[in-house]
Amino acid sequence: MNNFLLRIRNRPEAGSFLGFVVFFIIFSIFGDQFFTLGNQTSLFTLTAELGIICIGVGFLMISGEFDLSVGSVYALGGIVFMMLAPHMHSLFALAIVLLIAASIGWFNGYVTTKHLIPSFLVTLSMMLIIRGLIYMITSGRITSHKGDLFVLTFFSAKMSNLPGFLSDFRPSHLWFVGLLILFHYILFNTRYGNHVFATGVNKPAAVRMGLNTDWIKTKNFMICSCFAALSGVIAVSRFRMGSPNIGLGMELEVIAAAVIGGISLYGGTGAIIGILFSAFLICMIRNGLLLMGAPPYWYSAFVGVIVLISTIVNIKLQPRKSKF
Amino acid sequence: MNLNSLVSMQNISKSFGSIEALKNADFNLNRGEIVGLAGDNGAGKSTLVKILAGVFPYDSGEIFLEGSKVKLNSPKEAIELGIESIYQDLALFEDMDLSRNIFIGREPVKNKLGGLIKSLDKEKMKEETLNALKMTKINIKDTSALVHTLSGGQRQSVAVARAVYFRAKVVIMDEPTAALSVKEVQKILDLALELKAEGIGVIIITHNLHHMFSVADRITVLQNGSPVGDKKVADTNIREIEKLIIGNDFS
Repeated sequence: MNNFLLRIRNRPEAGSFLGFVVFFIIFSIFGDQFFTLGNQTSLFTLTAELGIICIGVGFLMISGEFDLSVGSVYALGGIVFMMLAPHMHSLFALAIVLLIAASIGWFNGYVTTKHLIPSFLVTLSMMLIIRGLIYMITSGRITSHKGDLFVLTFFSAKMSNLPGFLSDFRPSHLWFVGLLILFHYILFNTRYGNHVFATGVNKPAAVRMGLNTDWIKTKNFMICSCFAALSGVIAVSRFRMGSPNIGLGMELEVIAAAVIGGISLYGGTGAIIGILFSAFLICMIRNGLLLMGAPPYWYSAFVGVIVLISTIVNIKLQPRKSKF
Repeated sequence: MNLNSLVSMQNISKSFGSIEALKNADFNLNRGEIVGLAGDNGAGKSTLVKILAGVFPYDSGEIFLEGSKVKLNSPKEAIELGIESIYQDLALFEDMDLSRNIFIGREPVKNKLGGLIKSLDKEKMKEETLNALKMTKINIKDTSALVHTLSGGQRQSVAVARAVYFRAKVVIMDEPTAALSVKEVQKILDLALELKAEGIGVIIITHNLHHMFSVADRITVLQNGSPVGDKKVADTNIREIEKLIIGNDFS
């Protein structure tokens, strides 16, 4: 038993799994229509869109930085994609969007690491700049998606050709799970993952051991922005339109999901797999409360309480001395 | 030309803004030699060894390693040339396990999926970590233990194992005895002697001159960024070195 507890304690994702199970049971019992295939797959669609961003943010947080601009990059990705799509192959439009996102991430990383400005401030500014830019290029109007259906088919449309219950699923579910497994693997089984951890645990030591921590962080900023933009493209191609307000407040939901998923706000610890449960948990709370007939305004208070509880639990479970 | 020369730093200068940390400093280290670097706080000892470790770029001067001129632009380059450091704070990663600490920056990989993925060779890491720890004579069997669960002496030996296991030519020990018990200090000093016996050059910085005298062959004294003395331990005594450290200001 002792051994079992020790193992749990060293698994940062354990808390999010527990929270997920508890709420899943509560909502299944009390929520009307909660435990149906249709509801679960549409929940998973939201989870995938939130979770893809979370993977990037998770990597970035483990290396010791934040990104508050992901909500804005998500919106920019979606809107630029819709503006480009009528004029070219949609895959090409997606490539341009990812290139723009990578440049934004590079800029965030460059300013943060070379000018030693906290990433909180750099990405807060970026969040405001990009949101302003979005209002400018859309004049505040809703943009709609025209053009070919390639990206739509391979990222977000329901796979209605598949037989039976499989037709309720979307490619974004597979993308999310695939990326989740890939990045979990990278984090724990590759040199890059080891360097990401080292950068977050003890940056001065990492520098002295010959790691280029600035470039490692910058790469994570780029991954983060690319995933945010990808998620934006997936979301707008699902709705086939997007308002300039999409993704408002999303950065905080993403950070909340990362924290519930066991990623430390101080960097250095965490596991990507926990995001599967925490992102689902966050999307489930909104949906579950609604189906239980609770006022939807409760949602953010609920998420707040869960973030607080999981932070406390994570800190209590870690057997280490305080670093601060 | 001294054939035994391992490191020769010539005319090294380094300023931080308006502060001149090193002024035309020379420093030499031979194979199988332990050189103590002495000096008061701010004399430039740490700056000198950090330049050698590639942490600080230098403004002017030349560095020779085994007779050939080298440029040390980054810690990575210094490590690749065989210049290893054991830092005062040990530069360990508390939340990571022993083998990840020892192999940080030079993790062995193996190809998976036909070379598409290069994944960490964890078995090799584990095996070699055990070998590396054996050298330090501290018995740690579990290479998956996180560093923050170890005692002070055990941490020290992890840092030491990391520095000496990869065929180092030069080992820099920056205040290695600062936070240790008497017994642990003796282990570190013994280790310096073992490295020397293997032909490795050791640079040791410590405020404790007794520790320095018990292992060093030669002592270089720095004062305000310049070398003011270079004495063989056999030809000098603590009193003389102390005078050199304090300098003329107080005598």
